[in-house]
Amino acid sequence: MPDNELLKLTISEIAPMIQAREVSPVDLTEAALAEAERRQPTLNSFITIMREQAMAAAEQAEDELSRGEYRGPLHGIPIGIKDNIATGGIRTTVGTKVLRDHVPDEDAEVVRRCKEAGAIILGKENLEEFAAGATSNNPHYGAVHNPWGLDHIPGGSSGGGGANVAAGVTFASLGTDLGGSVRLPGAFCGVVGLKQTFGRVSQRGLMVTSFNGDHIGPMTRSVRDSALVLQAIAGYDPLDPSTVPVQVDEYALVMERGIQGLTMGIPSNHYFDLLDPEVETAVRRAIAALEELGVQSREVSLPSMEYVGALRFSAMADSVVTHEPYIASNWEDYGPDTLYRTLAGQFVLGRDYSKAMKVQRIIKEEHARVLQDVDFLITPTTPMPAPRIDSATIEVEGKEQKVRGPGSGHVSRNTSPMNATGFPAITVPCGFSELGLPIGLQIIGRPWEEGNIFRLAHAYEGVSPSQGAWPNLG
Amino acid sequence: MPISDETLTRIIAEYGGFEMSPEELELVKPELESYLNELEKLRGLDLSDVVSSRLLRAAEGTEADA
Repeated sequence: MPDNELLKLTISEIAPMIQAREVSPVDLTEAALAEAERRQPTLNSFITIMREQAMAAAEQAEDELSRGEYRGPLHGIPIGIKDNIATGGIRTTVGTKVLRDHVPDEDAEVVRRCKEAGAIILGKENLEEFAAGATSNNPHYGAVHNPWGLDHIPGGSSGGGGANVAAGVTFASLGTDLGGSVRLPGAFCGVVGLKQTFGRVSQRGLMVTSFNGDHIGPMTRSVRDSALVLQAIAGYDPLDPSTVPVQVDEYALVMERGIQGLTMGIPSNHYFDLLDPEVETAVRRAIAALEELGVQSREVSLPSMEYVGALRFSAMADSVVTHEPYIASNWEDYGPDTLYRTLAGQFVLGRDYSKAMKVQRIIKEEHARVLQDVDFLITPTTPMPAPRIDSATIEVEGKEQKVRGPGSGHVSRNTSPMNATGFPAITVPCGFSELGLPIGLQIIGRPWEEGNIFRLAHAYEGVSPSQGAWPNLG
Repeated sequence: MPISDETLTRIIAEYGGFEMSPEELELVKPELESYLNELEKLRGLDLSDVVSSRLLRAAEGTEADA
């Protein structure tokens, strides 16, 4: 099979070929690196390509195979890591000029687990400055481009990872999701993006972030691959007290259970408001497809979402504390979006923050209550397909919505609520706009039930109009 | 919500210990005012009648008595 065809396979397709020694990790890594270098001028998806380290790791993976040692489905698989996740001995910039020369001493726990599972790290992927935004239009390292439309954003903040998985450069990428930053690039780039339950995956080594609501999660080309990567990174980390020692299911087994008789809730408010019509059409078709597969649907109401805007108080205030170690001596190196938001956080009062915490609690309770009556919630992942890189605003239902800066929460209005609840959510491609830009379907589940989310997402994936589609990058 | 140069200068100095030139302040001000307008809108949300179920149970004398 030619290299460019190998790189289009999923992990679950290529892993047995590696195990059977039909595909060499060294050859596969060389092909992936060549593709990364070829696409970099177009996509700008990496900040650092780790050629030397990747080839050394691939040779080790190959040596192990020659000795009959096989670590599992990630053995010899080229992946990418967002550049706000620490990599020992490899610079980790967090997308900012402030940390342009920062080299962590040790790997983040998720990186350690990926390496232990045999994955080959190709490089550190481009992102929004400080992972704070939805565009991946980085003021210091340049804009990441969407493989489905190079003039369009890939979503953010894990845009480099979304672009790489969609373009066939990496088989999976680890992103981080504080308000949708895995699921937004997942939706805009037409790949699967998972934000698992808060506490399922260690955040140790995730740099310069809020203490509330961040997650490290995978972007992949299939639901099955998402499950494989989660299987490798999930689990209690005694050095990260935010992780919870609950059992990690065998996702591959849970996924194969049927979906007949499951019930999905379709929110009657918030999640389907202010939508681009093409997104609404694609998502309603996906719901109809799930009904045909035997899933029952029921309308559900989430009245407390009226207050969801209050959550921004806490994000603004968190920014003040997060940036305290850097801003005094480096403020001139900050991009304007992060600087302005951080300064604005100074004006958040204690009562504002407490109000945000109250709203967070109420939204969480309400989603928990609704998820007692239905097994899942189904929503659009984003209200619109990927905006253009040069757009400051987009128009939805006749109203101008900002894409970045103050008041730009529209892009993440459907993803950020699950960062407040901590409940698991996945985005799965569900079709395209007229311009050929991907649209994402979001499935939200109960805490710790990622297996059931994979089950529904996997069943839908098989009938999705996005199945088998590839961006035309020439 | 308008913000004076004096207030902004003080807030920045107290937080980051750095000073911005008048030209830089003029760039920052409209952006900050935009954020502050958002804050004002959110402050207008009346949550006094919105009560967490945890507090409801406490009021009924279950968890509060424990």
